[in-house]
Amino acid sequence: MTTDLTQLLLNGLSIGAVYALFALGYTLVFSVLGVINFAHGAVFTLGAYFTFLLIGGSVGANGLLAGFQLPFAMPFWWALPLAGMAAAAVALVIERIAFRPLRDRGADPLLALITSLGAGVVLVNLIQLLVGAESYAIPTTALADLPPAIKLLGAQVRTVQLLLLLVAAVLLVILSLWIDGSRSGKALRAVAEDPTTAQLLGIPSARMIQIAFGLSGFLAGIAGGLVGLSVSIAGPYFGIGYGLKGLGVLVLGGLGSVPGAVLGGLIIGLAEACVPAELSGYRDVVAYGFLFVVLLVRPQGLLGRVMPTKV
Amino acid sequence: MDATLLTQMVIGALLGLSVYLPLRCGQLSLATPGFYAIGGTLAALLSTRVNALGGSDPLYPIGSVLLEMTLAGLLCGVLASGIGAVVLRLRGVYLAIATIALVEILRVATLNQEAMGGAVGIFGIPQPFDDPAGYAVFTLVLLALVCWLCDRLERNRLGRAMAAIRDDELAAACQGIDTERTKLVAFVLSAVVAGLTGVISAHFLNSWNARLGNFDASITTLAFVVFGGSRTWAGPVLGGLALTALPELLRPIGDLRLIVFGLVILAGPLLLPQGLINPALLGWLKGLLPQPPSTTASGEGQR
Repeated sequence: MTTDLTQLLLNGLSIGAVYALFALGYTLVFSVLGVINFAHGAVFTLGAYFTFLLIGGSVGANGLLAGFQLPFAMPFWWALPLAGMAAAAVALVIERIAFRPLRDRGADPLLALITSLGAGVVLVNLIQLLVGAESYAIPTTALADLPPAIKLLGAQVRTVQLLLLLVAAVLLVILSLWIDGSRSGKALRAVAEDPTTAQLLGIPSARMIQIAFGLSGFLAGIAGGLVGLSVSIAGPYFGIGYGLKGLGVLVLGGLGSVPGAVLGGLIIGLAEACVPAELSGYRDVVAYGFLFVVLLVRPQGLLGRVMPTKV
Repeated sequence: MDATLLTQMVIGALLGLSVYLPLRCGQLSLATPGFYAIGGTLAALLSTRVNALGGSDPLYPIGSVLLEMTLAGLLCGVLASGIGAVVLRLRGVYLAIATIALVEILRVATLNQEAMGGAVGIFGIPQPFDDPAGYAVFTLVLLALVCWLCDRLERNRLGRAMAAIRDDELAAACQGIDTERTKLVAFVLSAVVAGLTGVISAHFLNSWNARLGNFDASITTLAFVVFGGSRTWAGPVLGGLALTALPELLRPIGDLRLIVFGLVILAGPLLLPQGLINPALLGWLKGLLPQPPSTTASGEGQR
C-alpha cells in the first residue's frame, strides 16, 4: 500500500513539476504584460526537438530535413540547457515580432492573443515542414550511466521521473530566489506592478520584458526536453495540450503569481495521478474542472491578489 | 464559385458572428466551438438514430433539419443561460480562459461517451440536399437572418446597452443598464447562433466528431473577428469568409499553406489593429454618401 502511494505521489509530483515549469513561463510574461502568450506551447515543443537533435538524434524521412543529423552529439546534461537557450532565443524573436509592435502602438492587449497564436501556428507548421509529423523518442540511453529505475521507499521509480522532479525543483528555487532577492528580480516585479512608474524610476522596462520572455522561453524549452525524455515527442502539435493545461495551472495558482504557478502545477499533477485507470479518458478534464471551480469560487486563484476595480 | 467552399465560408462567417455577439458588450468568450459542437452532435444523433425524422424520400426532409435546429437552439440557449449566469461574473482574460476550459470539458466528455460518437465520431449523417448549392443557399439564408439580427442590435435599445457596457461597464451600470442581464442575452444569442450553425454543419460535413469543437476552433473563430474588425457585424462576416477561404485558396502551395495562414493571423492585427472593417474605413464610406442635414447638427451637439 505504501509503495503504491509512493508511486502515485511521485508520478503526480513529476508531471506536476513539468506543469509548474510550463505555467511559470506563462506567468512571467503575464505578470509583466498582462497577456497570455499562446505561442508558449510551440516554444515548449521546439525545446523538445532541440534536445532531441543535440543529443545526436537524426530526423526521420518525412520532412525537408530528412536524415539530417548534427555533426556532433552531446550528453543530455549539456543538451538540455542548450535547448533551453535556443528556445529562449525563439521566445525573444516572438516578443520582437508579435508583442513589441502592439505595445509600442498602445494597441488592445487582446490583439496579442491573436498575434502570439499566429506565431505559434507558424512555428508548429514550420516544425512539421522541416522534420515531419512523426513522433520522436529521446532514448533513455542519453542518460548514459544512470540506471533506468531505482528503488525508493520500497517502490520502483523510473529515474527519469526523479530527474524531472529534481531539475524542476532546482529551477524553481533559483527563479524564486532571483525574483525575491536580487536587484534585477525586484526590477522585474516593479515592471509587473506598473511599467510606466518603473520606467520613471530608471528601470529599463523594455529590457525587463525581454528578460521575462527569455526566461519564459528557457523554462518552456527545458520542460519540453524533459517531457520528450520521459514520454516522447508525439509530433509538432504535442505542446498544445500542455499549453491548455498550463492555462489551468496558471489560473488555479493565480495569474501572475510565481509560488501559485508551482502550487497549481503540483496540485493538478497529483490530482491527475489519482484518476483511476478505468477513467483515464477523463484525466484531461481534471485540470479544466479545477480551473472552472477555482474561477467561480476564487477568481484571483489560490495565491493571487484581488485587483480592485478602478473607476 | 465552388458551392462547397462557399458553404464553408458562410459557416465561418456565422461562427465569427457568434464570437462577435458577446464581444459587442466587451465580453471575450471563446465558448462558440462548444455550442457549435453541441448543435452538431445533437443533429448527428437525431438524424442517424431517430428513424421517424427520415421520412420516405431518399433525401432527408428539410422540416427535420429545421426541427433539429429548433431543438439545438433551445438546448444551447438554456445551457448558455445557466452557464452564462455563472461565468459572466468573470472579466477579461479570466472569462476567456473559463470558456476555453468549458470547450475542452465538453470535448473530452464527448470523446469518452460511446453514445455520442466517442473518439471515432458519427458517420453517414443523412443529406437534405443532393447538391452542394442547396447547402450554400440554406446557410446564406441563415447568415442573412443573423446579420439582420446583429444589425438590429446595433440600432435598438438592447444593442446600445451592449455598446455602453463595452465602452465602460461601470458607467453603463450607473446609468441604470442591467449589465448582468444584457451580457447574458448576448452570451445566449451567441450560443444559439453557434448551435444552429452546428446543426447544418453536421449535415453538410456528413460526419461529426469531437475534434470539430476544440481549442483550435476557439482561436480560429476569434481570429475571424479580430481580422475582420469588431466594431460592426460586417467585420466578423468578412473575416469569417476570408479566413475560411484562405487555406483552401492556398492549397496549391501545399505544405506551406498553414505557415502562410499563421503569418496572416500574425500580421493582420499588426497592420490593421482594428480589423479590415475599421472606423476609418467606415468614416470614409460615410463621406461618400450624401449627408443628411441633421448629422452635422447632432455632431455639434455632442461636442
